[in-house]
Amino acid sequence: MEIYFLALGMLFVGGLLSIIVKEDWKFKVCSIFSLIASVLLLLPAGAVLLTGGTLAQTVYMSPILGDVEFVIDPLSAFFVLVISIMSFFGTLYANGYMKPYLNKGMNVSSHCFFLMMLLVSMILVVTVQNAFFFLIVWEIMSLSSFFLVIFEGEKKEVLSAGIKYLVYMHLSVIFIIAAFVLLNIQSNSLTFVDFASALDGNESLANIVFFLAFIGFGIKAGFVPFHNWLPDAHPAAPTHVSGIMSGVMIKTGIYGILRVLLFVGTPSKLISYTVLVIAAISALYGVLYAITQHDIKRLLAYHSIENIGIIGMGIGIGMLGLAYSNPVVATLGFAGGILHILNHSIFKELLFFAAGGVYLKTHTRNIEKLGGLIKNMPYTGLMFIIGSVAICGLPPFNGFISEFLIYAGMLKGIPSSEINLFITLILAIAALAMVGTMAILCFTKASGITFLGNPRSENAKNVSGDVSKVMIVPMGILAFLTFFIGMYPQYFIGAVLVPASMFVRSETILPVFNSVMELVSTLSWYFFIFLILVLVLFAIRMFINRKADIHNTWGCGYDRANNHMQYTATSYADLFISTLKPLFKRVTHIKKPKDLFPKEAYYEMEIQDIEEAYIVKPLINWDEKFLTKFERIQSGNIQQYILFGLIFLIIAIIGMVYFGG
Amino acid sequence: MINLLLNILILLIVPFLMIGVIKKTKAFWAGRKGVSILQPVWDFVRLMKKTPVISSTTSWVFKFAPVAGFASILFAALFVPMAGAKAIFNIPFAFVIFSYILGFGKFFSLISALDTGSSFEGMGASREACFSTIVEPAFFIALASVAALSQNYTFESFRLILKNAGAYGYLIIALLAVTLFIMLLIEGCRVPVDDPTTHLELTMIHEVMILDNSGPDLGLITWGAAIKMFIFEALIANLLIPSSLNGWEALLAFLAIIFILAIVIGTVESSMARFRMTHVFEFIFIMSITALIILALVTYRIYGG
Repeated sequence: MEIYFLALGMLFVGGLLSIIVKEDWKFKVCSIFSLIASVLLLLPAGAVLLTGGTLAQTVYMSPILGDVEFVIDPLSAFFVLVISIMSFFGTLYANGYMKPYLNKGMNVSSHCFFLMMLLVSMILVVTVQNAFFFLIVWEIMSLSSFFLVIFEGEKKEVLSAGIKYLVYMHLSVIFIIAAFVLLNIQSNSLTFVDFASALDGNESLANIVFFLAFIGFGIKAGFVPFHNWLPDAHPAAPTHVSGIMSGVMIKTGIYGILRVLLFVGTPSKLISYTVLVIAAISALYGVLYAITQHDIKRLLAYHSIENIGIIGMGIGIGMLGLAYSNPVVATLGFAGGILHILNHSIFKELLFFAAGGVYLKTHTRNIEKLGGLIKNMPYTGLMFIIGSVAICGLPPFNGFISEFLIYAGMLKGIPSSEINLFITLILAIAALAMVGTMAILCFTKASGITFLGNPRSENAKNVSGDVSKVMIVPMGILAFLTFFIGMYPQYFIGAVLVPASMFVRSETILPVFNSVMELVSTLSWYFFIFLILVLVLFAIRMFINRKADIHNTWGCGYDRANNHMQYTATSYADLFISTLKPLFKRVTHIKKPKDLFPKEAYYEMEIQDIEEAYIVKPLINWDEKFLTKFERIQSGNIQQYILFGLIFLIIAIIGMVYFGG
Repeated sequence: MINLLLNILILLIVPFLMIGVIKKTKAFWAGRKGVSILQPVWDFVRLMKKTPVISSTTSWVFKFAPVAGFASILFAALFVPMAGAKAIFNIPFAFVIFSYILGFGKFFSLISALDTGSSFEGMGASREACFSTIVEPAFFIALASVAALSQNYTFESFRLILKNAGAYGYLIIALLAVTLFIMLLIEGCRVPVDDPTTHLELTMIHEVMILDNSGPDLGLITWGAAIKMFIFEALIANLLIPSSLNGWEALLAFLAIIFILAIVIGTVESSMARFRMTHVFEFIFIMSITALIILALVTYRIYGG
C-alpha cells in the first residue's frame, strides 16, 4: 500500500515539476513520472489480481473528511492497471503530438499539470472507498479533464464543447450525489464497506439507488441518451487527451456502475433488463452515427459510445445471470464486459493516436479531404488498419475475445425457463451481430477513405513523411497488445475473472473458470493456425506474383480517372444511411444553379444527432425561455440584490425552524 | 486422421466441381452443350500462370486482401462439419467464430476495393458492407434459436433439431435451409442478388469489387468464392442428411445434396434475372423474416403448451 501512495506522490510531483521545467522538457517529465507511477502501481495491483486478495489502508485526512479508506480490491486493481498503463502511452504520445504547440506562448504548463492531475484523480477515483472523498476526486477528475479539453480554447467550437462537457459532468455529479445521499441515510456512514450492507433486503430502494447511479455514471461513460457531450468533447481536445479520455476516463463511469452494483448485491430483474437494453441501444446508436460522421475524431467518439454499449451489454448479461442465479452466464457476462474495458482502451487509444498523426500531418480531420495517406505514412496507416480490425471485433485481435465471451454468456443463458429472458437474449445476440457488421462498414470507410486510394486534396497529397518515432512507438506497442491479447487471451482472462468473481460470489465459479480457460486456449491454438495459414499463403502469393505489371486503375475503358471520381465517404455510407432514413435528421443546405449562366451553386448535407436535435435542443430552448422571465429581477441595483439575499435567508431560517424539528 | 484428410480433400476439390455443375446446368437450360465440369479447375490453373496487372494506386492492402479473404474462408470452413462427420474444429459457439472469421476476410476485401481508388469498386464495397449488416443478424437469430433447441452450441446441433423439436423439426429444418440458401446466394454473389458472369455493370456487388484483381490474385478470389458457396451448401446438407446414415452412406448423401443444390442454383440463375438494387433489399429481408419465424417456432416449441 505504501507503494501505491508513493506512485500517487510521483504523479503529483511530476505535475508540479512539469510547471517549472523548460517547455521542451514538460512532456518528457510527464511521461517519465507517469512511467514510474505505472511501474510502481503494477506491484500492488498485480499482486491483488494474482492472489485475489485486497489491500487496504485508512488514512486520517482532516477534521472534515475524517478517516478515508484507500482500498485496492480486484476490481480497483484492474482499473488501476488500465488507467496507469494506458495513460502512460498517452503522455508518451504527447511528446510528439504537442511538439508543434511548444514555444508558441500557449499555456503548456497548466496543460501538463492538469494532465498529471487527471491521472492522479482517476487512480484515486477507483481506489477511494469513502463517498465524500470520492466525490471530491471525481470532481477534480472532471475539472482537470475540462481544462485539458479547452487547451485550444481560443477556438470557439473548442470552448463551447468544453462548456458542454462541464455542464454534462455536473449533471452527472448531481445524480451520483443523490445516490450516495440515499446510501448514506440508509447506512448512516460514508464508507463503501457500510454501503454494501445498507441495501440488503430493500429491493425498491436498491433499484432507485442503482438507477440514480446508473444515470450519473452513465453520463460519464456515455450511454445513450446521456452521450451527447462525447462527440463534441473528443474532437475538441488534443489527441492524446482524446485518447486518454476515450480510452480510460470514461471507463471510470463503468467503474462507478460496477461499484454501485456491488452495493446492490443481487440485482433485480428490472434493473438488469434496463441495463442490457440501454447498453444494446447505445451500441447500435453509437455505431449508426459513427457511420454518418466524416470527422475522424468525431467518428471515433461515436465508436466510444458503441463500445461502452458493448461493455454495458456484458455487464447487463452478468446482471441477468445474477438475477436469474445462473453463475455461468454471470461470470461470462462480467468477464466479457470487463475484458472489453481493457480491449477498448487499447484499440481506441491506438486509433486516436493514428488519427492524431493524420491531423498533425494534413491539418484536417475531414476524411473526405484525405486519401492515399498510407503511401506517405505507412506506419500510421498500418496502425490504423490494425486498430480498425481490432475494434470491429475480428479475430485474431483482442476485440473478438471480449465479444466472444459476451456471446458465450448470452448463448449459455438462452436455455432458460423464462420466455422474456429467451427472447431478450436472442435479440441481444442479433444486436451485437449487427453492431459488429456495422462497425465493419464504418471502419472500412474510415480506414479506406483516409489511408487508401488517391489523395483527395493538396494537403493529403503533400504529406511530408510519417509522424515522429515517439508517436509511432506507443502506437506500435498498443498494436502489438491488441494482437497479443487476441492471440493469447488465456493470459488475460485470469486478470478479468478475478474481478468478475467479486460479483458472482459463488462456489460454482471454479469449474466455469476452468472451462472458459480451456475454451480460450483452444481458440488461441486455432488462431495460431490461422495466422500461419495467412502468413504462408501471403508468402506464396508474393513469390508467385514477384513479377507484376503496374498500370492505372481499371476505369472501365476510361483512362483519365481523377481523384474526385473516387468513391467518397458520403457515398460509401449513403446506401446504408438511406435505408435507415427515419433514424437520422438530415439538414441540407442547397443553392441551385440559376439563370442562363449560373454562377454559384452548392449542395451541403449534414446529419445531426436526433437525440440532440429533438430532445436536448428543445429542452435548452425551453430553459432559456423560462429563465428570461426572471430577467427583470436582474436590475444591476446592489441594494436590491442584498434585499433578495435577505429574503432568501429569512425564508431559509423559517424553513429550518419549521421543518428542522 | 482419415476423417481430417477426407474433409480437407472434399473442401479443396468439390467446390470446383460444384461450380462446374452450376455452369453445366445453365448450359443445359440455355440449350448449349456447355464446358466440361472440370473447366473451373483449368480456369484456376490458367489464372495462376498469368502475370498480374496491379494498379499504381494500390498499396500492400491490395496484395494482402486476396490472401486474407481466401485464408479466412478456408479457416471458417474447418468449423463446418462435412459429410455428416465431425467438423475439424469442433468447439462450442462455433458459428460466432465462423461468422467473425469470415468478417476478417470481408474487411480486407472491402478496403482492398477502396484501395484501387476506383468509383466502381467503392460502389461494390459499399453495397457488400451494407448487405451484410442485414444478413448477419438474421444468421445469428436463426442459429441461436436452433442452438437453444438442442442446447448444443456447435454446428452439429443441426442433427439434433428433429430429435428435440418433433414435428416442428421438419418446419424448422425447411426454414433454416431456406435462410441458409438465401445467405448462400448473397454471400456467394449469385443471381438474383448478383451476377457472377458479368464483371462490368453498375448494378454489381461483389464482382465489381474485384475488377482490378488479376492473375493469381483473381484465381485465389474465385476459388475462395467457390469454397464459400460450398460451405453454405455443406451447412444445408448437414441439415438434410438423416442422422441414421453413417460412414460412406452419409458421404454419398452429402455429395449428392451438394450437387443437387448446385443444380438448383444453376436452375435459379437460368430462370430469373437479377433483381434491381432496390429489390435486393427486399430479397435479403426475406432472410430476416424466415429467421424470425424460426425464432417464433422455437419459442413456441419450448414455452408453448
